[in-house]
Amino acid sequence: MGVLLRSPIFMAGLLLVGFWVVVGIFADDCVVRPNCWVGGATSLQSTPWLARYSPYEQFRGQIRKPPSMEHWLGTDSRGRDIWARLAHGARPILTLAPLAVLLALIVGGTLGLIAGYYGGLVDEVVMRILDGMIAFPQILIYLVIIAALGASAVNVVLAITIAGAPGIARLVRSLALDIKTRDYIAAAETRGDPPWYIMFVEILPNARGPIIVDAMLRVGYAVFAIGTLGFLGLGLPPPSPDWGSIVQVGRTAIQAGHPWEALFGSLAIAMLVVGLNLIADGLSEELQRYR
Amino acid sequence: MRETSHSKQPVVRVEELAIGYATRQGLVRAVRDVSFEIRRGETLGIVGESGCGKSTVAYGLVNYLGKNGRIVHGDIIFQGQSLVGRSPEELRRLRGDQISMVYQDPMTSLNPVMPIGAQMAEVLTVHRKMAQDEARRRCLAMLTKVAMPDPEAVLARYPHQISGGQQQRVVIAMALLNDPALLIMDEPTTALDVTVEAAVLDLVVQLRKEFDTAILFISHNLGVVARVCDRVAVMYAGEVVELAPVREIFANPRHPYTQGLIRCVPKIAHTKGESVLYPIPGRVPAPDSLPAGCTFEPRCQYAIEACHQQRVALAPLSPSHASRCIRSHEIDAQAWLPPDVEVPSLTAVTSGATDGPVLQVKALNTYYKQGGGGILGLTKRPPVRAVDGVSFSVARGVTLGIVGESGCGKSTLIKTVIGLEERTAGTIELMGVDIGKLSRRSLATIREMQMVFQNPDATLNPSYAVGQQIARPLRRLAGVPKAQVRAEVIKLLRAVKLDEYYYDRLPRQLSGGEKQRIGIARALAGQPDVILCDEPVSALDVSVQAAVLNLLGELQQANQMTMLFIAHDLSVVRTITDYVAVMYLGRIVEIGPSSAIYAPPFHPYTESLLAAVPVPDPTVKQAHIRLGGTPPSPANPPSGCRFHTRCPRRSLLPAGGNICTEEEPPWRDVASDHQIACHLTLEQLAAIEPVFSFGKEE
Repeated sequence: MGVLLRSPIFMAGLLLVGFWVVVGIFADDCVVRPNCWVGGATSLQSTPWLARYSPYEQFRGQIRKPPSMEHWLGTDSRGRDIWARLAHGARPILTLAPLAVLLALIVGGTLGLIAGYYGGLVDEVVMRILDGMIAFPQILIYLVIIAALGASAVNVVLAITIAGAPGIARLVRSLALDIKTRDYIAAAETRGDPPWYIMFVEILPNARGPIIVDAMLRVGYAVFAIGTLGFLGLGLPPPSPDWGSIVQVGRTAIQAGHPWEALFGSLAIAMLVVGLNLIADGLSEELQRYR
Repeated sequence: MRETSHSKQPVVRVEELAIGYATRQGLVRAVRDVSFEIRRGETLGIVGESGCGKSTVAYGLVNYLGKNGRIVHGDIIFQGQSLVGRSPEELRRLRGDQISMVYQDPMTSLNPVMPIGAQMAEVLTVHRKMAQDEARRRCLAMLTKVAMPDPEAVLARYPHQISGGQQQRVVIAMALLNDPALLIMDEPTTALDVTVEAAVLDLVVQLRKEFDTAILFISHNLGVVARVCDRVAVMYAGEVVELAPVREIFANPRHPYTQGLIRCVPKIAHTKGESVLYPIPGRVPAPDSLPAGCTFEPRCQYAIEACHQQRVALAPLSPSHASRCIRSHEIDAQAWLPPDVEVPSLTAVTSGATDGPVLQVKALNTYYKQGGGGILGLTKRPPVRAVDGVSFSVARGVTLGIVGESGCGKSTLIKTVIGLEERTAGTIELMGVDIGKLSRRSLATIREMQMVFQNPDATLNPSYAVGQQIARPLRRLAGVPKAQVRAEVIKLLRAVKLDEYYYDRLPRQLSGGEKQRIGIARALAGQPDVILCDEPVSALDVSVQAAVLNLLGELQQANQMTMLFIAHDLSVVRTITDYVAVMYLGRIVEIGPSSAIYAPPFHPYTESLLAAVPVPDPTVKQAHIRLGGTPPSPANPPSGCRFHTRCPRRSLLPAGGNICTEEEPPWRDVASDHQIACHLTLEQLAAIEPVFSFGKEE
């Protein structure tokens, strides 16, 4: 861990991601109000901290203003503070993206371990089905799932999980294929350990390096995907602050000379994705050095 | 035997060479104060255990130290000119094509996508601007010189189409094409089988005479060095500790480390019970934490206060013999007394009529299916007969060694017995009960049979502490309650001579020998009756190997376990086993007591194996028998006797041994527990000269 802190790439990534994590957590006084996370509507009573304003508050006569001391990043078409909306928009994206990847890891990891460890017919069947899923463009899978189930936070997570699991399964399978040839796996087999024990206790921990790096990259893609879905109007329903829909709404005003909404929305997404990619790069570099 | 009397100018002279690597912890000097010289037609051997800096010296000579390595002190004078402190371009010009190097693994030195003829010719056409057909003629002549069978055809082949021994011949031929003044060979035979190794070593000896080059020969194997070198430099922790002619080194070693090394190598002349291996205590210090005084002082039983005070210089004892020890004059290797450490005295066991066999294998076959060949894999290919009709039985407390070249099926045999591979036919009986495949075995059966693996780096799961890994079989097989597990693990650690604090260590913090001990402790946890060892010491250094062998023998004897022991090193097998089975192409060709199998009557294949063993004693004379050809494929074994294609004794039979190609050989009973599968009669077999003749009585 100490060596990671000395890696400039990793630290840059940590700084970018850490910025949004801190802003998201301390956007308002949510952390000290126990009822905050229960219902979305009550956030009207909350006291803004880092966000400075409520994301829903509409300022009279302040439509599409450029950045100023009052409104750091300007205001949007309804007179809402863009900074406040971005700060609050960090919350859903920073919870949904890792959650979706975690679920994809559990599903894809298990399938990959089973395919890799058992091999043979099991491997063929599992991997051919997953290959079939990889054959579809990811965005198509998102659209089909969201279109069928409706736009909601749960469905967004579900869509990303289903679209991401096959890729993770491929990776875990290839790692399992390599690790299962080691002598310590044979030692576990010769003492009669059950397959689940060998897969999850003997194989999985030794595959963690590449899996963690891959997961970091995937969280980046998930942020991207959530942004895309928001942009297409399939993300969180309005008026929730959603980075993708902020860009979408702002897009129409660019040519009218008010680029701020679209610009800062895109920048926020880019910062987070670049940050996550840098973290993944830093991790894999350090893992390779100490291989 | 081969003391040369060349007194010309040395080809290469290395003076006080020190090589350092820049690491995050600062400059680490991997090699310090190394001086030697090599003359024309002379072979200097560098021996030492892994990590002692012997390869670093070679890389220093060819300026191949990598980004962070450099020569920090000393000089290399090659044909009268210094090589240190010059730019890479100057070096290339000075050295030109005068230094060639041969590496351990021939496959990494050859380009897999180029025919051999093309890559050999490239050496000449690029370096010497020679014309294509002239280059081709030279390559052909060179391949003939390195005794390559059918050189014309080999030129057109790709590297993967020839055997490992032939690949190494090609690499050596390529190295010699430029007629180098210095040839560096870095463990050139380590990746090869004994029989192939013997042939390659013969080639090295013959080429040195023929080409009159200087050879720097690096090896960890004292036996190999004894066979090919004129002088030997023994390295320890980055320093040359002793430098002497090869006979001197083995007959009269002056440095305590050299003496210790020679003592811990198993001797082929000794059977179990006759020999005692004395491991060197402690371990090689890391180059960044060397002791203040003599580097060997912490492990040396002759150490006195003065050894601790200051660095010791390499001091001449005679014009040709130098040693880095302040007490070299007074230490007498002959008067050496065993140190006060426990060494087990192993006694040979015979499977008498005590009770029935613990493990009995009858007509066991293990075939591997091959994927189809041809278009779309439609053509069926025959299975690989890795184990083909093997039968043997082992009694309680008996150790059976299994030897043979790689690919003879010894590992498959053991894996089938333990259940990691599924058998095709035959029975495996444990105490009279046939045991099925692994997933169907009861926990009680599984518990009776455990295995020790070959590769110390893969035997332990890198993610868990040592204690947890020993605890698992204790909990699972021995049913030790949770509260007592820690105490039991510590008991096992003690049994393999490791301290309690190893409990929380991770595998990456351990040395190879320590990992192997943990592997043994793990196998012993369920208190098995049968323990299977798949080359448990072949990846270890000699001093560590001795300790692990002692440990295995001692534990096996104390617990009255039955042991199957695979090894390719016949000397190792002899020191630890009671019986030996010799395998060739999936079959056992000879099985008998270890004491009997090393002298006639023996199977012609056993004889060839024995003749190939590198013996770390230049006074021992070995019969010169070399196997021709390559082992046939186990997918399509020869008819009749499987060894007939390479058998050196077939000519003893009438009609050139026609019977060998037609009929399977009968079992000849030498004694009730010694059988040989051969068409030659016992009288004929017994009349064969013994392989070893000892110069003087030991």
